[in-house]
Amino acid sequence: MPALLELDEVRAGYGQTSVLHGVSMSVEEGQIVSLLGANGAGKTTTLRSITGGVRWTGDIRFAGRSLKRLSTEDVVRCGIAHVPEGRGILTELTVDENLRLGSHLRTDGADVRKDYDRVFEYFPLLRERRRLSASTLSGGEQQMLAVARALLMRPRLMLLDEPSLGLAPMVVRAIFEIIRTINQADGVSVFVVEQNARLALEVSSHAYVLEVGRVAVSGASSELIGKESVRRSYLGY
Amino acid sequence: MQSLIQQIISGIASGGVFASLALALVLIYNAMGLVNFAQGEMAMFATFIAFTLIDRGLSYWIALPVTLMIAFAGGVLIQRVVIRPVERAPVLTLVIITLGMATLVNGLAGFIWGYVPRSFPSPFSARTVNILGAVVSYQDMGVIAISAVVLLLIYLLLQRTTIGLTMRAAAHHPEASRLLGVRVSWMLALGWGLAAAVGAVSGIMVAPVLFLEPNMMQAIIIYAFAAAVLGGIESPLGAVVGGLIVGLTVNLAGAYLPFVGGDLELAVALAIIIGVLLVRPNGLFGRPTVRRV
Repeated sequence: MPALLELDEVRAGYGQTSVLHGVSMSVEEGQIVSLLGANGAGKTTTLRSITGGVRWTGDIRFAGRSLKRLSTEDVVRCGIAHVPEGRGILTELTVDENLRLGSHLRTDGADVRKDYDRVFEYFPLLRERRRLSASTLSGGEQQMLAVARALLMRPRLMLLDEPSLGLAPMVVRAIFEIIRTINQADGVSVFVVEQNARLALEVSSHAYVLEVGRVAVSGASSELIGKESVRRSYLGY
Repeated sequence: MQSLIQQIISGIASGGVFASLALALVLIYNAMGLVNFAQGEMAMFATFIAFTLIDRGLSYWIALPVTLMIAFAGGVLIQRVVIRPVERAPVLTLVIITLGMATLVNGLAGFIWGYVPRSFPSPFSARTVNILGAVVSYQDMGVIAISAVVLLLIYLLLQRTTIGLTMRAAAHHPEASRLLGVRVSWMLALGWGLAAAVGAVSGIMVAPVLFLEPNMMQAIIIYAFAAAVLGGIESPLGAVVGGLIVGLTVNLAGAYLPFVGGDLELAVALAIIIGVLLVRPNGLFGRPTVRRV
């Protein structure tokens, strides 16, 4: 049984600059895996490689199928929801329209409605603001909208790029609680890039630490938390 | 008083024509961040197609939708063949390409149909009717009705359907839209098709008044630019409101300001463009550009 997501010696970069120098990772079905590392280590580039936002070599497989040569749209249609750096909120549109863009490809109407109900249970605030422009939401609310929208895509795998960035600690906690719920109740596997290493290690079962485009350390999150040397050198706390 | 009402109604009629072409400009501006300088020529070419269809014996009311479908397909084709390969090119390249396309389409129309102005049939009778004592032509009312229906249909498509939603998403945030599974490139092509069709409506509406010839739209496109800029270049609603305002202003100025007359109407449009850019660069419905540092 192959892992849900497998990266095999992936190299990627922008123009002449290469960022990833042969990275191999995997995410098993049902897991939360965190990807840690300093700024510029290649975390965002790793996620962007998966959804085809950057050119890469090596191989990336999702549910056993190679994602090579697939356009971003087609990768997403395989069942990967990517909440990008900056959240990817369409600020010209309303909250409701943003959510509808999450579910626009689905044909299972009755289930979509149930999913809306559940999403609004997680984020009651979004229901109140449905008709408002997404640009009126605060940073934390926009992050909630991004996660809610990703959930409405009913993905098998969710890629989250720094969900805590720029948010108040309380809000960060709330969002990670929901990520955990999504993983357990909805069975969505999660691959999360995070600066807040402690928090990420708490929710994830496995973790990879990137250092200048290479995997420096990997293993069970609980072990990484305990290793003094790892914490000091890579996680900065 | 009667003559004022007459001027207002024919102002709204011209406004409908300007609004349609301005909406076409806005649709493409949203899709590629640039005005399509060939929009007027594309509309003129579509009008010639309608002319040919009617000339071959098709009824006006069949020729109209057939032409719009051909225009739509032509718009999609132009995006796929001409624009898509240079999508990431610098703005200046795209400007030159659309300007070149304008010249090309103009020359092609001249080559096929010649430069002799032809009278274009109108489905509306040339008679007039009295409304509140004012003499109003069926032609004007027909143009108002058709423009209104077309603009309403476009509004419903963009605002009330999923495909419209994905088109708007693709135009504003292509990267984020791709991550939501939107086929951005095709949505932009649809935008071109839609713009070509709406533009064609303006050409067909104006042709009975202006006579059909390859340079027919060259004044109209200036009015449409004025309307689009006034509305805020990114806003479809703004284009429509801008079109009506420009139509009314130009007509009333032409009728009541003796020094404007029929000769300086185009100058009024240019004055509107310059005035808006000076006083309110984001137009009536545009959002100010905020740059974060």
